[in-house]
Amino acid sequence: MSLEREERLASEIKDLLGSRAVEIKIQRIRSIFVTVKKEDYKESIRKVVDRFAITHLSTITGADSGQTIDVMPHFSYAGTKITFKSSVPKTAAEIDTLTDIIPGAVMYEREIHDLLGVGFKGHPTPERFILPDDWPSDVYPLRKEYKVVRPEPIPKT
Amino acid sequence: MAMQRELLRHIFRKAVTIRYPFKDRQKVHIPGDFRGMIAFYRDRCIGCSMCFRVCPAEVIEMFDDDKGKRPMFYLDRCTHCAQCEDICPTKAIELTAQYESAGTDRTQMILK
Amino acid sequence: MPEFTVIVGPQHPALKEPESFTFWVDGEDVVRTQVRIGYAHKGVEKAAESRTYIQNIPFIERICGICNVAHTICYTQNVEYLYGRQIPRRAEFIRTIIEELNRIHSHLLWIGIAGHEIGFDTLLMYVWRDREVVMDLIEAMTGNRVSTALMTIGGVTRDVTPELATKIRKGLDILEERTKYYEKIVASESTMLARTRGVGVLTREEAIKHCAVGPTLRASGIKFDVRAEDPYAAHDEVPFEVITADTCDLFGRVVVRVYETIESIRQVRYCLDHLSSGPIRIRLPNTPPRGESVSRVEAPRGEDIHYVRSDGTDRPSRYKVRAPTLGNLAALVEMLTSKGDYNVHVADIPIVLAGIDPCMCCMDRTARFIEPSKDREWVWTWNQLKKYAKEK
Repeated sequence: MSLEREERLASEIKDLLGSRAVEIKIQRIRSIFVTVKKEDYKESIRKVVDRFAITHLSTITGADSGQTIDVMPHFSYAGTKITFKSSVPKTAAEIDTLTDIIPGAVMYEREIHDLLGVGFKGHPTPERFILPDDWPSDVYPLRKEYKVVRPEPIPKT
Repeated sequence: MAMQRELLRHIFRKAVTIRYPFKDRQKVHIPGDFRGMIAFYRDRCIGCSMCFRVCPAEVIEMFDDDKGKRPMFYLDRCTHCAQCEDICPTKAIELTAQYESAGTDRTQMILK
Repeated sequence: MPEFTVIVGPQHPALKEPESFTFWVDGEDVVRTQVRIGYAHKGVEKAAESRTYIQNIPFIERICGICNVAHTICYTQNVEYLYGRQIPRRAEFIRTIIEELNRIHSHLLWIGIAGHEIGFDTLLMYVWRDREVVMDLIEAMTGNRVSTALMTIGGVTRDVTPELATKIRKGLDILEERTKYYEKIVASESTMLARTRGVGVLTREEAIKHCAVGPTLRASGIKFDVRAEDPYAAHDEVPFEVITADTCDLFGRVVVRVYETIESIRQVRYCLDHLSSGPIRIRLPNTPPRGESVSRVEAPRGEDIHYVRSDGTDRPSRYKVRAPTLGNLAALVEMLTSKGDYNVHVADIPIVLAGIDPCMCCMDRTARFIEPSKDREWVWTWNQLKKYAKEK
C-alpha cells in the first residue's frame, strides 16, 4: 500500500512549519502525527488550518505520560487524520485554547480540564463538565497518580 | 392521514404479542448457538487456564481437584460474552440455549 | 427581559439517560442553554487501563447498548493497527454486514422514538414491530438480539453459513418493503410535518463551525461520512451513497435516517453476494508493539473516534473514546438558542433533544429552566415536560 499522498502532505506541513515541527510521523495510511512544542502549539495549528482550510476537529485527547501530559487535537482533512501533539509539564499544566480558531473545541477542552487538570488560556466557559460539584478541586481522576480502589464486598448478614 | 389504510387492515388481524411466560412459552424460538448459561465438561478440560485469563468479569476461578487444575464459575457475574468458549482449545466450555436464569440467592449460582 | 427558571428533574424518561440542561426562558421561548454531563459516567477510560486488550473487548462493547458494533469495530481495528497486520477479507465483509444490520436496527428504533416524542405512538408501535425482524436476524447471526460479541482482535468469531445468508436475504426483503412504507408516511403524514418542519434549525455554517457529526451534520447539506472519507472494513469496495438533506431542520434528520436505512439494506445485500472465501480470523500475540494509533468509524449517530497508546505490555497505557453524541453537544446548544426570527419553544425541547439521536450511555439528562425576572424556578419531571409538549 503506497503512502504517496501522506508523504506529500507531510512534506507540505514540514515546509509550512519549518523548525517548529519537532517530528512528523506517518503512522499508517490516512494518519499523520505532528509533534510541536507547547509554545508553538496555537500558531502551528492556525497555520495548518488556514493553509488547508480544515474545519473539522474530531476530538482532543489528553494523555498522562509520567511527568508531562500530552494534549493531542485530531483534525480531519480530506479523509486523513492529522494529529498534533504537544506536552505540558504537570506542575504547570496550561496551554492555549483553540476555541477562537475552531469553536467546536469547547466541549473537548472542558473535558480535559475536568479530568486531567490542564488549563486552557482564553476558554470561554471553563466550568465543571463531567465531575460533580462537590468533587475536590485538585484531584484529577485520569492522572496516573489517582488509583482506583476496589470496594470491599458487603458481608451477608 | 396516510396510516389509515394500514390501521384498518390491522383491526382484523391477531396481535403479534407472544404471551410469554403465561400462555405461549413453547412459541419462543431460540437459535442453536444462542449465548445463554455456561455448561462445563470436566472430562475435556486440560487445566490451561486460558479461560481465566480472557474473562472480563472475573467469573472464573481456578482451583485444584484430583485430576489437576480446573475452573469454577460464578454464574451471576457472567456477561455472556463467549470469550471463554472461544478460547478453550478442547471445547470444554459451552454456552447453551438456557436463558431462564433468574434466582434469589447468589450462592446457588456457582457452577463447580 | 423577564426570564424564568425552570428545573426539570434528572430522570430523562424518553431515552433513559441523564444529562443536565439549564434553560433560560422568556415566556415560551428558550433564550440560553447550558449543559452538564457526567451523571452516568462509568469511568471506562480509566478502567480500560487495568484490563488486558482481550478483556477490554466486552467492556468497550458495553459503552453503548445500541451502537455496540461501532465501538467494538473501532477498538479491534485500533489494536490491529498497532500490530500493523491486515485481517482476512472475509472477516472485513462479515464486520460490514453486522455493522449495517446494527445501523438498520438503530435507525428504526430512532424513528419510533421520534414518533413517540411528538405523541405519534402509532408509528412507534408499528416501527418497533418491524424492528423485531432485524433483531431476529442479529440473533441468528451472533447469538443475542442486541449485544453482538462478534469481534475479536484479528477478525470475527462466527462465520456466515449459506443457510444464514438465505435467512438474512428474506429478512431484508421484508425490511425494505416496510421502510419504503415509512418513507411515504414521513413525507406525507401531517402530524409529523407540522412538528418537525422548522424545528431545531442548524444552518450549514453553524454545523461546520461547531464540528457536528452524523445525520445531524448531513441534514444540513454537508457530505461527510467516515465510510466514504476514511474507508474501513469492506467499505472501500461496497458501493453506497452518502445521504444528505438541505432543509437543515429536524425534518431533514428524519429523512436522512430513513434513506440511510434503505442504503444499509442494499449494502448488506452486496456483501452477501460478494462474500470472499477464506479464514475469518488470524491469531495475534498478546502484547502489541509500542506505539499509538487513531481509528474512526461511522456509528449510527455519527463519527466515533478512538485513540490507543501501548507501552509494550498487555494492557493499554491510555484508551480514549469520543462517542458521537459528545460531538453533537456544541451544535445542540446552538440549536436550542433563540435568535433573530428563529424561536425555540419549550414544547420543542424533547423532540430537538431526541433529534440528534443522543446515545446518553454517554450522557445524562434533566432539564432545568431559569426565568430570572419572575424569580421562578420550577422542576418538571420529564413526563411533565413531555405532556406539555404533546398538548402543544
